[in-house]
Amino acid sequence: MSRKHFGAAFGLLLFLIPVFLLLNVCSGSVHIPMAEIRQALMGASGTSADIVRGIRLPRALAALLLGGALGLSGYLLQSFFHNPIAGPFILGISSGAKLFVALVLVSALSLSLPPASWTLIGAAFAGALLSMGFILLMARFVNGMSVLIIGGVMIGYICSAITDLVVTFAADADIVNLHNWSRGSFSGITWQNVAVMACVILPVLAVTFLISKPLSAYLLGESHAAGVGVNLRLFRILLVLLSSLLAACVTAFAGPVSFVGVAVPHLVKRLLRTNQPLAMIPACFFGGGLFCLASDLLARTLFAPSELAISAVTAVLGGPVVIAVLLRRKGGGRYA
Amino acid sequence: MPEPVLRTVSLDAGYRQKIVIGGVSLTLETGKIMTLIGPNGAGKSTILRTIAQELAPISGAAFLDGEDLRRIPRDRRAKSMASLFTDSIRPELMTCREVVQAGRYPYTGHLGIPSEGDLRIVEETLTLVGAEGLADSYFDICSDGQKQLVRLAGVLAQKPRILVLDEPVSYLDIRYKLEVLTILKKLVREEGLAVIMSLHELDLAKRVSDLAVCIGDGKIQRIGTPEECFDKAFLSGLFRMRRDAYDPCFDSLEYGPAEAESPVFPHYINAGGKRLRLGYTTGSCAALAAAGAARRLLLGTWPESVRLVTPAGIPVEVSLEGTEAGEGYALCGVRKDGGDDIDVTDGALIFARVEPNESGKILIEGGEGIGRVTRPGLDRPVGDAAINTVPRRMIEEAVGQAALLAGYEGGLTVTVFVPEGEKLAEKTFNPQLGIEGGISILGTSGIVEPMSTQALVDTIHLSLRQAAAEGNSRVILTPGNLGMEFLTEHGLASRDAGSRQIPVVKCSNFIGEALDEAAFLGFKEVLLAGHIGKLVKLAGGIMNTHSRWADCRTELFTAHAALAGADTALCRKLKDAATSEACLEILREAGLDGPVMESLLADIRKHLRRRAPSLITGALLFSSRTGAAGMTKEAEELLQKWKGSTE
Repeated sequence: MSRKHFGAAFGLLLFLIPVFLLLNVCSGSVHIPMAEIRQALMGASGTSADIVRGIRLPRALAALLLGGALGLSGYLLQSFFHNPIAGPFILGISSGAKLFVALVLVSALSLSLPPASWTLIGAAFAGALLSMGFILLMARFVNGMSVLIIGGVMIGYICSAITDLVVTFAADADIVNLHNWSRGSFSGITWQNVAVMACVILPVLAVTFLISKPLSAYLLGESHAAGVGVNLRLFRILLVLLSSLLAACVTAFAGPVSFVGVAVPHLVKRLLRTNQPLAMIPACFFGGGLFCLASDLLARTLFAPSELAISAVTAVLGGPVVIAVLLRRKGGGRYA
Repeated sequence: MPEPVLRTVSLDAGYRQKIVIGGVSLTLETGKIMTLIGPNGAGKSTILRTIAQELAPISGAAFLDGEDLRRIPRDRRAKSMASLFTDSIRPELMTCREVVQAGRYPYTGHLGIPSEGDLRIVEETLTLVGAEGLADSYFDICSDGQKQLVRLAGVLAQKPRILVLDEPVSYLDIRYKLEVLTILKKLVREEGLAVIMSLHELDLAKRVSDLAVCIGDGKIQRIGTPEECFDKAFLSGLFRMRRDAYDPCFDSLEYGPAEAESPVFPHYINAGGKRLRLGYTTGSCAALAAAGAARRLLLGTWPESVRLVTPAGIPVEVSLEGTEAGEGYALCGVRKDGGDDIDVTDGALIFARVEPNESGKILIEGGEGIGRVTRPGLDRPVGDAAINTVPRRMIEEAVGQAALLAGYEGGLTVTVFVPEGEKLAEKTFNPQLGIEGGISILGTSGIVEPMSTQALVDTIHLSLRQAAAEGNSRVILTPGNLGMEFLTEHGLASRDAGSRQIPVVKCSNFIGEALDEAAFLGFKEVLLAGHIGKLVKLAGGIMNTHSRWADCRTELFTAHAALAGADTALCRKLKDAATSEACLEILREAGLDGPVMESLLADIRKHLRRRAPSLITGALLFSSRTGAAGMTKEAEELLQKWKGSTE
């Protein structure tokens, strides 16, 4: 892959992101003419401006940030487990986070306290680490990517079942809210939420970028990494913490969003024609953001005014990618 | 002289505190290829992974340029040592150049971006292994042979001085096998690289290695040049094959039919190229029989088989014979198996009868066919049954376990008897030792290590050569287990191999041969440490201390006592004493032990100097009753000197 190709790939990503941001801001259940959108973005006031600035813009930015977090988390997990179909949702990490967030939400709502963003992230992080712990425990005893995935899916189901139970017993008024969230949605994101998620995700992105060197050694196997001087223990812990933190952050704000984490790294890898972390880390972040922006656009507009769950769209878009990866693996791992 | 870059000292390697291979002491010099050979699972990879710091050593240590590898920071280590293991890698969408570039890891900056120099080295290394044409191909789609060349380039790009390679040519076709090994040989010759690797291909190992290390049964069996090491019988034993399966003419291994029947006690040692089967002692038999009878008595049924772990650590499992049980007693026998060591008690049935008693303790008695001690100086006091201390302890333990199992808290009396013992004893040394009426129940390790004379001498030579190969100029010689125990107790040697500095070689009775070989191998300082009953013979110039060869112990004591002024009565008493220990006791009572020992030691010095003039040989004599009995001037000096230099 030449430098030119690299530039073109990144250029494409960086060009498409503002385009989709704009599309997301422009479209929705309420039709707002282009002129008013321009005015709203320039700082005018009114109903249209409230919709654009107070609802659509934070939502679009959240989709970008959280999508990026999912893409990155998926890439880290795939590298960590040397498993091409690993991802925060498939491994049950998102579901673990979801369960903890649901517990905190329900108890906070029953005490009529408004749950703070940080509390939710903390709960999600705890849940994510718990699921991750189970997966790591399993990985110690069984080898093979399918078994690991099946274990993850099982953990996911168990956590989802408990979450449903919790939601069932929540007060009537909260059910609509909780139900939406537990299916996964970018709706209802405030500017304050966006600020909090940026505070978490951007530093994690920076740290991840800084460990791209040991990550590149790790891709050649643990034995190689140890041989060239990587502190494996520290590196593994860091990888687990970073990927869990990313997945947790997404779940806290948008509930579980499926398939982004698995599919995005593969799409980006094809686009870049390399797996070098130095390029992949930013590319997965941008790619994930783009993927979620596009998915959210579809979720909101396909059957407007009713809105689809975000996972419904991401699954339709991402699922085939996973199947393609599985088929390709079976077929001897040659790359076009 | 080339300096060692890598040294392991008494390394015990394994996983999770379970030792796979113990006591690994290796020295690798620059410009040398060291090859580990041995059957699958022998511990080759375990050694390599421990050296590469992927596994922590259980005990002992590995040193890089004299520095403990565990203390060397990762990045600095990675610049000196590179390793390649058999784990297959499947990096996606990585070109071969990128795989090689990954080897530059220790040299690149925080983000791992290669410099001009790094890129040049990558190209050079690719060219060196002849894989420059593959540089832009994706690694995934290369053949196994190409992949291995590229991975080799990767570790070479790390610019190490030591390469650690685990089976670098397995699964490659012959062209790639030769290619990889030729590259290694060239680098070793031209750039002074040192290589330690494992190989399964004996023919290639022979061609490429400077030093072969043969591994089997959890330890190093041989170290030497391939020519020295690879003889047919030895390799067949090492790989557990039929004896004629390895043909040195073809350097190939042929599969013969599997051995027709496996012996009941399938443990072996390699003694001087011969594969000899181990056996178990009369002591082990007595303990096993006692355990069986105790279980019948306390639990009501005969066990199908009985098992115990001998003090040597080897488990023995046997079936019981001649079982009989009645009101308040049970008895059964276990057949002694001396392995390839044919002695008079081989095949004899050792019985134990177990009965409850009132004392609450486990009492051990000797019955029919077990000798009685009639003269002082032996392991047991006069009047006792000739069942030595270690077997007694084994019996107590075995019976105690059965009692524990049954929840029985009362006492038990164990009577050991051997129906044919009295007749067998006539063919043993027991009559001379003053043990009357039967055989002795003996054994300090529970295991019989069979040894023919030549095999024994060969083994001693091998141990000495091994010690010399590790760069030692000092060695401790000891005749046997008692010597080892004494050395351990006094901190001169250690069973936990980590702290041992000066190699200890067991020389059995062949003291003269061992000294000759040590002198020939260029050792400088030798400490001979042994029981007085063996080493006193040196005062008479007897350099093979086996009692079949010559005895003269009491005669020597008598003569030197006479010189020191003993009267006839005392001399007579000494002459009639059963053992050296008894002689010492008599002399001590007469107040003559000091002068007599001095006079004996003077003669020992004289004979040692005469036998090996080029060595500084010290002798240290001890008695199992009183500890150190005396040492020559040289021994004192050596101990002083060694203490100073090893601390």
